[in-house]
Amino acid sequence: MTALLRRTILPHPVALDAGAGGRSVVRMEAVRRELRGSAIALVLVAATTLVAYVLIQSFDVRRGSVIYLLPVLLAGWHLGLVPALVAAVAGVLWSGYFFFSPYYTYYLARPNEILNLLLFMVVAVVTSHLANSMKKHTEVARKSEKDMGDLYAFSRRLASSSSGADIYLAIEEHLASLVQRKVVLFGAVSDSDRAIKPEQEGLSQRVHSAIADVRAGRTLATTVDDGAGDIWLVRRVSQKNADFGVIAIDLGSVPPLAVEEVRHRVDDVLSDAAATLERLDVARALNDAKMRSETELLREALIGSVSHELRTPLASILGAATVLSKSPVIAKDERLNALAGVVRDEAERLNNDIQNLLDATRISREQIRPRQEWIEPQDIVNSALERRRRRLSSHSVSLDMDSNLPLIYVDAVLVEQAFVQIVDNAAKYSPTGSPIVIAAKRNGRDVVLSVQDQGVGLTAEENAQLGERFFRGARHAATTSGSGLGLWIAKAFVSANGGKIQAVSPGADHGAAVSILLPFATPESQPEVGPDD
Amino acid sequence: MTEANPVVLVVDDEVQIRRFLRAGLELDGFAVQDAETGGDALRWATLKPPDLVILDLGLPDMDGAEVLERLRAWSSVPLIVLSVRSNEAEKVRLLEIGADDYVVKPFGMAELLARAHAAMRRHVRVSTGEPVVKVGPLSIDLAARIVSINGARVMLTPKEYRLLQLLAQHAGNVVTHQFLLKEVWGSPHLHDTHYLRIFVRKLRQKIEVDPTQPRILLTELGVGYRLVVPEAATAVAS
Repeated sequence: MTALLRRTILPHPVALDAGAGGRSVVRMEAVRRELRGSAIALVLVAATTLVAYVLIQSFDVRRGSVIYLLPVLLAGWHLGLVPALVAAVAGVLWSGYFFFSPYYTYYLARPNEILNLLLFMVVAVVTSHLANSMKKHTEVARKSEKDMGDLYAFSRRLASSSSGADIYLAIEEHLASLVQRKVVLFGAVSDSDRAIKPEQEGLSQRVHSAIADVRAGRTLATTVDDGAGDIWLVRRVSQKNADFGVIAIDLGSVPPLAVEEVRHRVDDVLSDAAATLERLDVARALNDAKMRSETELLREALIGSVSHELRTPLASILGAATVLSKSPVIAKDERLNALAGVVRDEAERLNNDIQNLLDATRISREQIRPRQEWIEPQDIVNSALERRRRRLSSHSVSLDMDSNLPLIYVDAVLVEQAFVQIVDNAAKYSPTGSPIVIAAKRNGRDVVLSVQDQGVGLTAEENAQLGERFFRGARHAATTSGSGLGLWIAKAFVSANGGKIQAVSPGADHGAAVSILLPFATPESQPEVGPDD
Repeated sequence: MTEANPVVLVVDDEVQIRRFLRAGLELDGFAVQDAETGGDALRWATLKPPDLVILDLGLPDMDGAEVLERLRAWSSVPLIVLSVRSNEAEKVRLLEIGADDYVVKPFGMAELLARAHAAMRRHVRVSTGEPVVKVGPLSIDLAARIVSINGARVMLTPKEYRLLQLLAQHAGNVVTHQFLLKEVWGSPHLHDTHYLRIFVRKLRQKIEVDPTQPRILLTELGVGYRLVVPEAATAVAS
């Protein structure tokens, strides 16, 4: 019976809210809850009695004792077994009073009526018990359905995690939802994936030293007071397998006597969770992720060092070319001067290709973190044009910029790099001498920065694939060099700023207009003007 | 090289870069002193104080920023940093600890020389107390607080003038947002970049021919603003 009661009171795996006084506290709380339930049950019986009284007075109903099953059922469903029994006993008494002769006394005249009442009692008890267990079954079914769903989502997340840090984060959230407490999870060893971050996690020094102890294997589990009144349980997630790391759980302000009780519950939940982690082969997932991230790191390091190795000589080549073109001998000779120009331009182009490679790596590593600030849209356009001045000098560029555009809140450097890519494409895919129109306009709730050329244009299919990584139009892949990264990078940079890129073309060989759309919201959201006095 | 030639200290560990810098700088009339390491640079700067320092950030023995900080402890020599692209935060930090300007690798000689001359002119201006700064058609008389374009006086509000004055004092070199905000609006507004945007827009309407395509007051995205000195005015001789 006690076990049954406990389960009724604590339907969730862990209910850690304990008052003062340790193990007995939980029981005290249980008794209080039952008393409250019983009181409500009595109120229900009283209400039923009122209805019964009205029925008898108005319609002279004489066989209505069944009405008292109603409060018993309600109490059994909502309040638990004890209140249901209380309701049953009270119901028997009242139906004896109302429905069994002599009426309006608790005294029963005939033996068969006593039997009748006893039967009622039995039916009431059985009913209340049934109601109660049905309720529990429903709850269990609902919960296990939810658990299954959670577990499924969790295992999918594990499988798709690309780094140890992701997996630890998934485990952390999974465990947090299981124990219904704030938890902080640390990797198994002092891996770089998840170093201890005191300021970020807001953990006190005491909790940290406890974590260090558990990590070092000096103890398997321990509880510490964080100094601010909260008790933390620090232990390995799995007592058997150190791979799952160390977990710190904020138990809240638990009184010292109740800690053991609460700790047992957490232990139960965690041993279940650890078994699940074993089953899902987290250890292997972690290993795989480590391999993947090491490969990624290697690739990253390779690209990083190669591009550095390439850039240093490029800086010398480009610098030397500019010095040469200024030297008296070469400056006088037009052909030699043009050659120095070629060296410079090609070095610049190579430099852009290297920059694209680096940017592409940054994007796939998800290392794009916009540093947003208020900026004048035409500043972005002008800066991009300045950067591509030499390249655009072979086209006839015209500008069409509104003078009073709203300020936009973006990472100007990223948007400028995106715009440079679009300008590059226009210059690359349109004939020398052809016009390029560059515009900055307001359109509805967007600021639109656009580049319109009269070049090779886009077919509908090409437009649909535009901006995909490594996509290059088949019509000119053989004649024009490129990596197919430019617009993909531009798209990534623009969408990191909440904007998008649009391309419009009347068709092949009819030119194209490519635009960056950046939302500026409303005039009210424009920043205030600074004081001027 | 005669005594009169200004001395430039080039600090870079890459021999090829030092080579073209030497050629370009000598062509422009400088006497060049090389240094391969930060330690060398600091020694040379003490032994034979240069008129200009060109400092690469990646040095074998210490961080370029450290060289800059140690140098700035006792010297206000004009200094240009050779930086790498896409790290605006680092550029801002270097400017804040005392670099006069930066160029981004790879760079052309003309760009480096323009920045270097601007920094040197400012140095001269500060030491001689020369009151008038000319930037193309724009002339700013810092003593009389008069701004004019092609001789015609331009009326500015006090804050607009303060902004232009700060930029003029650094004419040709970049001035960071933070510096401008702190000097014009005070420390509490260090991050109110939009104040700057709006006042620069007003200023451009008064001093630029086409405010949407500024030729004088340029934006350095993510870093600050720069008053552009026309290239012809930057030769050493002028």
